[in-house]
Amino acid sequence: MLIGSVSALINMLANGLASKNPFLQSAYVVVYAICIMVLISIFAYFFGWIERKVIAKAQYRHGPTYVGKFGIFQNLADLVKLIAKQKMVPGNADRVPFILAPIFLVSLTIFMLFLLPFSSSLQATNMGLGMLIIFVLIGFTPLLLFVAAYSSGNKYADVSAQRSVLMLLSYELPMVISIAAVFLLAKTYSISGIINAQSHLWFIALMPIGFVVFFIAMLAELERPPFDLREADSELIAGWLTDISAPYYALSLFLDYSRMFLGSLLIAIIFLGGWEGPALSGIIWLVGKAFIIALATILIRATTVRMRIDRILRFGWVWLMPLSLINLILAYLIMR
Amino acid sequence: MKIERERLASKLAEMKKSGFAYLVKITAVDYIKSITILYFIRDIDAAKDEALEIELDPADLWVPTVMHIYPAADWYERELSEMFGVEIKGRKAERLLLEKWDGKSFPLRKSFAWNAPYEGM
Amino acid sequence: MPLTRINIGPVHPSTHGVCRLVVDLDGDTVVKVEPHCGFLHRGVEKLVENRMFMQCPPYMEKLDYVAPMSVDELYVSTVEKALGVEVKEPAAYARLILLELQRLASHLFWFGATCNDLGQMFTGFMWGFRDRDIVLKLLEEATGQRMFYVNMRLGGLVRELPPDFAEHALSTMEYLEKRIPAYRNLVEKNPIFNERMKGVGKLSRSDAIDLGVAGPVLRASGVPYDVRKDVPYYAYSALNFRAKSASEGDNFARYMVRMMEMQESIRLVKEALRKMPEGSAMGMPIKLIIPKAKNRIAMVSRENPRGEEMMYLVADPEKAYRLSIRAPTFINLAALNRMAEGCRMADLFAIFSTLDLVMADVDR
Repeated sequence: MLIGSVSALINMLANGLASKNPFLQSAYVVVYAICIMVLISIFAYFFGWIERKVIAKAQYRHGPTYVGKFGIFQNLADLVKLIAKQKMVPGNADRVPFILAPIFLVSLTIFMLFLLPFSSSLQATNMGLGMLIIFVLIGFTPLLLFVAAYSSGNKYADVSAQRSVLMLLSYELPMVISIAAVFLLAKTYSISGIINAQSHLWFIALMPIGFVVFFIAMLAELERPPFDLREADSELIAGWLTDISAPYYALSLFLDYSRMFLGSLLIAIIFLGGWEGPALSGIIWLVGKAFIIALATILIRATTVRMRIDRILRFGWVWLMPLSLINLILAYLIMR
Repeated sequence: MKIERERLASKLAEMKKSGFAYLVKITAVDYIKSITILYFIRDIDAAKDEALEIELDPADLWVPTVMHIYPAADWYERELSEMFGVEIKGRKAERLLLEKWDGKSFPLRKSFAWNAPYEGM
Repeated sequence: MPLTRINIGPVHPSTHGVCRLVVDLDGDTVVKVEPHCGFLHRGVEKLVENRMFMQCPPYMEKLDYVAPMSVDELYVSTVEKALGVEVKEPAAYARLILLELQRLASHLFWFGATCNDLGQMFTGFMWGFRDRDIVLKLLEEATGQRMFYVNMRLGGLVRELPPDFAEHALSTMEYLEKRIPAYRNLVEKNPIFNERMKGVGKLSRSDAIDLGVAGPVLRASGVPYDVRKDVPYYAYSALNFRAKSASEGDNFARYMVRMMEMQESIRLVKEALRKMPEGSAMGMPIKLIIPKAKNRIAMVSRENPRGEEMMYLVADPEKAYRLSIRAPTFINLAALNRMAEGCRMADLFAIFSTLDLVMADVDR
């Protein structure tokens, strides 16, 4: 029944979004936005739960077990706890940016997710420059993280802010260059165009190097281990989150997971053929692929140790950068 | 091996040259009438230990620093001056290492009133 | 660029207790580290001056709370030396086995903590702690306690090793023998781990001797001094013991020395269990101790998991007139500045954790 109603909802949304009547269409865009919010929340929730479970298994633990079957409601309980706690702004902090930066970050991430298409018919807009816009907006997140860290007035957060700027230098350029190769092959900047270009062969098969570079750069972008330098817990206590009080911390956790969703969706769209797949509807394929990518990052998180900032710079410029250039050249040759 | 305070530095330098390059510990014992300072040194390749002993009058309690000979003496000397009130000549005053209160009472001296009521920081 | 001065600790996830580091940073590079210790200073050396000999082992155990048995044993053998009590062969073997088990537990603890400090998401930590707990279970079987054993009496142990102890210990050792390659697999094949460990926090041989560092830190700098080999006690000379050392003096060398020591400990326990003579390992009941020190001064040193610990005891007839403890961690912490100079902020904690500090032992 659940599956039936979900697919009915998807159909309704798809019809509504495609409708010619501008008022009806904009009304459906609002409904769509709400549905995307729900989808993000569901993903964030289950991703958080599965991450806890998988890491626990890697460590011979059980993970959450008490709240609900298999501890499935543990995150909900944590959320309630975090929201119920006192809000505090440290005296040293710059009040307005300190409060606003996490909120801006979350809304920016949600906005980016809103721009992504979830299947050939489920999309709010189909802009010709869609992918470019996404990457411009992604470039803003480290900036906002920098503001959030710097405004908290904490020295650990200061170091974390410096690190986030340094990290930006190392991964942003390879990421953009590997995307350029994708644009070259797809001959379009639009997101659905990129997916349609993969209807015969996924780009991961055409550009394995590009996939690796992009995956690593995405890990760095999302601050997943081994690139979690901004909130390196054994060195900087929690980096930019050190002085953040509980409700904002809940927000930042949500931010983490929704960015995870964004990142894995992007990888799935750009390299794994997006919603392409037999039998099931496009959205399930897309989210399923994103979920597999997310699982891979969990396993990476469970095993690696943290990288050092100078090593990331070196890694970015000595390995990722040439590899992405090679990938670009190869893509050009393939295109010819 | 007993030795006078004045000859300590030269003796230790000589010992170090002859292979005793590893300082194990500097410590002291308060015998009330006198205070003995002990320097345990070791020839680490031959696994030979040696101890130098200085007997001091509690009224005239100082030893020369040996930090220039054994860098390891750094914290031991600081500990010594905190715990026994031994003045280390040739070193400038540094922050307290182990005790966080006044730095004027010396807990390992026998005269220390160890069960007296505490009078605050 | 002006230096940033950061205060780390006294309460910080990576300072292993209450150590405060005042770090001067130039960007992300450490210019100077000043360790502030003393937050856990309890004056143990003074406390024992006012208590009978055998009232003190519980205090001693709290010195090094990760490896309590080893300090306990050191204190008791110092008293034994002062009172002129002999340790019989079976008791010596039993103590050796317990000490090596304690070393295993301590090194496993260290492995976990180091993985954590390097930023691994608790995986190595959980693995290390899980297997440490298995060793602790074994120690519990032998002593009745999981952590603070107070299991040493003059001339032996408080209680005999249980009859099935040897069997359990052997099976545990066999299990651990398989586990240690798994640990090494987990981290050594990881290029990031190698990058973080190799060539970081170098301490040359001459520096190590000058700064007087102890234990695995000293041995990793190419000085193969091990009390177990150089001044053998108990049955170490009868067993086929080889001291482990490395020459690089960096984080990885310290890691390797500890890993090899674990394997050596497993082997030693197995060998000792095989060679253990029949007989009682019981020590004297406290009431039977004749409080008459034969030697006024007794000095004993032992190779504890954290390094060479030494006790210098001046005995009154029934209590210590003065007990001076040489804590290996105290002097290792003093060497931190030399190792950390010029390294990255992130490496500071890698170096700090390879020193394997227990702050209670530093401050005494």
